[in-house]
Amino acid sequence: MPAANHWIVTGNFTDDGAVAWRRADGTWSRAIAEAGLLADEASAKAIAARAVAAEQREICDPYGIEVFAEGTTIDPLTARQRIRANGPTTPIRRPDSGISR
Amino acid sequence: MYQYDDYDRRIIIERAQQFRGQVARRLSGEITEEEFKPLRLQNGLYMQLHAYMLRVAIPYGLLSSKQVRKLAHIARTYDKGYAHLTTRQNIQYNWPRLANVPVILDELASVEMHAVQTSGNCVRNITSDHFAGIARDEIEDPRPYCEILRQWSTFHPEFAHLPRKFKIAVTAAPGEDRAAVRFHDIGLRMVENAQGERGFEVLVGGGLGRTPVIAEVVRDFLPKRHMLSYIESILRVYNLAGRRDNKHKARIKILVTALGVEEFRRRVEEDWEKSRTPALELPDAEVARVSAFFAPPPYENIAADPDRLISLGLGRDRDLGNWVKNNVFPHKVPGYSAVVISVKKPGIPPGDVSDTQLDAIADIADRFSFGHTVVTHTQNLVLPDVKTSELPRLHAELRALDLGEANVGKLTDVITCPGLDYCDLANARSIPLSLEIAERFDRIDYLNDVGDVSIKISGCINACGHHHVGNIGILGIDKRGEEFYQLMLGGSPGNDASIGKILGRALAQNEIVDAVEKVLGRYLEIRDSIDERFLDTVRRVGFDPFKEAVYGSADPLEAAGGD
Ligand code: SF4
Repeated sequence: MPAANHWIVTGNFTDDGAVAWRRADGTWSRAIAEAGLLADEASAKAIAARAVAAEQREICDPYGIEVFAEGTTIDPLTARQRIRANGPTTPIRRPDSGISR
Repeated sequence: MYQYDDYDRRIIIERAQQFRGQVARRLSGEITEEEFKPLRLQNGLYMQLHAYMLRVAIPYGLLSSKQVRKLAHIARTYDKGYAHLTTRQNIQYNWPRLANVPVILDELASVEMHAVQTSGNCVRNITSDHFAGIARDEIEDPRPYCEILRQWSTFHPEFAHLPRKFKIAVTAAPGEDRAAVRFHDIGLRMVENAQGERGFEVLVGGGLGRTPVIAEVVRDFLPKRHMLSYIESILRVYNLAGRRDNKHKARIKILVTALGVEEFRRRVEEDWEKSRTPALELPDAEVARVSAFFAPPPYENIAADPDRLISLGLGRDRDLGNWVKNNVFPHKVPGYSAVVISVKKPGIPPGDVSDTQLDAIADIADRFSFGHTVVTHTQNLVLPDVKTSELPRLHAELRALDLGEANVGKLTDVITCPGLDYCDLANARSIPLSLEIAERFDRIDYLNDVGDVSIKISGCINACGHHHVGNIGILGIDKRGEEFYQLMLGGSPGNDASIGKILGRALAQNEIVDAVEKVLGRYLEIRDSIDERFLDTVRRVGFDPFKEAVYGSADPLEAAGGD
């Protein structure tokens, strides 16, 4: 397992609960690859705290996590965050949701 | 089944309207997630890893075909085409959008359903025996009492903010506890006293989770008419003395253990003597009124023919024969049988049932079972009232729907919590283990040879998968962010209740199903006859042979090492 070398900020979208990753420009993405990389925990905490106040309509419960980032890929370091990033590992009856997103 | 009166209807519609306003304010940003969370939880709406999850209450698991069709419609229209059967006889939707939840609640209200009492520190949905009303071994149908408890508990102002959630289960079958009443905050067991009067044995303080406890008997015999007043006294003692400073010590089981059952009983009886009033006594007329909703359906007069089931079980069609042996249960009315539809098919997450399957089940319930279906806490469905002569036709229809697995009560009928694929609280995944077990042991001869054995999997210590009471229990733990599993043996939820114990050191994901296979292999070697169930073998021989099979050594240090 690679060692952590960055932090990113994540939460869930208020609209549908989908996993949200904070881009460097302060907007939120559904793709972890678009997350803005941060140097350390303090920066992640500060941004998450700001998001709790200023972006609460769009995002629920933002917080920072450690990742290993190299080139264009960002790898979470725990099973939980890997599953958050990639979705359930088991079959979903209708993966193409059929609901307008 | 019970039909809402004007009051039931009004409170559910009003609640849905209130929630519509709360959702609108959350979506506009007028209220924050912190403010919204307690409101949504009171309406069964959780935030999971990838989406919201809406848990819908199914009182004592009973559904009409109209309700099943509505659940199918909701799955198709507002979710990803399936519903998930939970381990408390409820269902949950894993993918609703927030803006759609008020519409879903309106849809549910239109068929007398809702999502209250499926979350929060209140009295949760009342559960019962999934064969209630039809079991040969029951004293009386427990559902009227469940329904009375449902009405009493819904929005009860005194008990809306208990120290923790509170679960009540009721059974009226003394011979076999299919509702795990000893693992509930309150378990009511209907019994008859020496005078032949019926009442309840009242058990308190059972539960799973972080601290598994088998409930203690607080009263041997409670006349039925005192059911509500006595439960109020239990709840009042708990509400006053239960801990609120530590979430992990707030369940009633901790209070009962801390006080000792004698002192707990003394306090309850004292409160009861002071507080019970005639207003809380259940009048016979009210019990009769509610019971009328559960009157038996118009059964045909069919001569008893016990050989019929035996010949179906032994017939040429082996699929049908195995299904009859494993999935069909005795019914109290001659000529009828109860059928458990297995929702445990290899390749499909346990308890997930698609919209088309739900629609088809509703049609089947109408044609074969007076329009009724029951959700079991084992994540299957029951058709309670099937004519025994119709079993072959029913089996053919279920098989065509991928619902014909003949594995009820067998190795692959695994209880599985959502685990880390969905659940925000999880340490490890549960569903993939279940799928691996289903795939690896999907051989009917092997299932029949191993016989009755329960595997129960939880993704964390909260124990929604009831791992403590699995004959084989699996608990997901987190080791530095990676998934590991503890293997437990010897649990049982029924009349012979026991809590499983950890076999040895935790195992990695790629080791755990191998370990289950080794345990089963050792059981087959050492059981004293084919009639000795897995659980009985474990109780007879202890853990050493199984430790040796899994870890290569029965040495406790070695087996426990590294954890
Ligand atoms: S046992 Fe844990 S992981 Fe499983 S559903 Fe319950 S809280 Fe989630």
